[in-house]
Amino acid sequence: MSAQPIIHIENVHKYFGEVHALRGVNLHVQPGEVVLIIGPSGSGKSTLLRCINHLEEFDQGHIIVDGIPLVTAENINAVRAEVGLVFQQFNLFPHLTAMENITLAQKVVRKREIKEAQRVAMDLLEKVGIPEKADNYPLQLSGGQQQRVAIARALAMNPKIMLFDEPTSALDPEMIQEVLDVMLDLAQEGMTMVVVSHEMGFAKAAADRAILMDEGQIIEEASPEILFTHPKHERTKRFLSKVL
Amino acid sequence: MKKTSNSVRHISSNPLVDRIKSLDRWWLLLIIVVVLIIFLISFKPDPYLRILLFARDGVWVTFYTTVISFFLVLVIGLIGGLGRISHNRLINGIASIYVEIIRGVPLLVQLIFWYFAFPSLIQDVGDVWNISAFSTYKANPLLMAILGLTFCYAAYMSEVYRAGIESIPKGQMEAARSLGMNYFQAMWYIILPQAVRVILPPVGNEFITLLKDSSLVSVVAVADLTRRGREFMAANFIPVQTWVMVALLYLVLTLIAARVVNWLEKHSRYER
Repeated sequence: MSAQPIIHIENVHKYFGEVHALRGVNLHVQPGEVVLIIGPSGSGKSTLLRCINHLEEFDQGHIIVDGIPLVTAENINAVRAEVGLVFQQFNLFPHLTAMENITLAQKVVRKREIKEAQRVAMDLLEKVGIPEKADNYPLQLSGGQQQRVAIARALAMNPKIMLFDEPTSALDPEMIQEVLDVMLDLAQEGMTMVVVSHEMGFAKAAADRAILMDEGQIIEEASPEILFTHPKHERTKRFLSKVL
Repeated sequence: MKKTSNSVRHISSNPLVDRIKSLDRWWLLLIIVVVLIIFLISFKPDPYLRILLFARDGVWVTFYTTVISFFLVLVIGLIGGLGRISHNRLINGIASIYVEIIRGVPLLVQLIFWYFAFPSLIQDVGDVWNISAFSTYKANPLLMAILGLTFCYAAYMSEVYRAGIESIPKGQMEAARSLGMNYFQAMWYIILPQAVRVILPPVGNEFITLLKDSSLVSVVAVADLTRRGREFMAANFIPVQTWVMVALLYLVLTLIAARVVNWLEKHSRYER
């Protein structure tokens, strides 16, 4: 592995009013690495993920993404263009078609010509397997299809890092696999990914590292096989016994 | 209303009656009002045609005063609405004070302030600072009326915008920002297009209310429909006929406006 981590999180603290949501988190992600974060709800895993592209402000510590420290507004926008985020609730833009969802930021942020943006969008829709849905509005699509459009929308910005915030939690069971397949493809292509999810199948197939968070701290990290089968910490064991 | 027309349909055999029943309320009322006006000016040209000819430039003044004011209201109301949701305390404070003051003062008082007090203030400033352009400032009634209407209605409109923007789920702004858009790009391309659809009914309502409230400008020397009515009444002493005609003309304007708003609402829905 290369020496320089692409995501560098150092001693990050975050408060929601009185609640101490992140308590000194340290995490380094190497280029091409797939990191899975698990943990009970309220453990701060989504908050940590959202700190990486500064959707959530942190109160203390440092985050450096691809050599850019998250400090000024300019830096934050630069980092956001490099980092794709996929939400639990998809958050597609309901007033735009699937195609327009994918082309808008390319035009507005990347300043691409419309023809070029549409070509990129079409390639990505084919990659996620729904080119025929280009002209449909989000609410005409199934949950799984919406989430695949959301992934394509993020990929259209040519991100170096993809963040997934419980991407399959809002999906009906029969639609989970179609989204995981797209994520597996991405992992195989060498995309750097940080995934908050409890999909153990995906973890075993694609994750290089699994992390258990609880009460705003990283409790344990290891390769998924080891973390899931031979956890060291009592809290990890307790959590896994509930999930598996 | 639709239910009634359905249940009645099998009883009536007259196709014309069916057709009239299938028309909605707005069209029916508009047609009745227009027919009534035509009826009055054809069969009683004196005084109704005379009133119409006398007041028609007033109709035009009322129309463009309302439309110009409303356009400005849409722009300033948006700025006010963005101010009201701003996390910047100064901007938020200014926007909130503006809204609270305007909402607490009657529109008629505001219009009188703009026409009589504001120019006097400017002149005083000119006298103190020796600026001759200010000292000799004379208020243009129409300009002051439009300013007064705009400032008042923009305050109400900023609340409409605020409610509309706040009704859009937070995830929409987050998704836009996470794609690298700045705050204003996200507002312009993502939040506002959705918010506008939500607020169309109250915005249309504001337009129709503004159209009616524009009659207040008649007290600050604008020759709108109401003022023309008063002038005609003063010269001819036939209040009943005068105000029936004025009321009918206002009705035509408001009914057409309601129709346009309705059409816009229908054509702005997206697939759900």
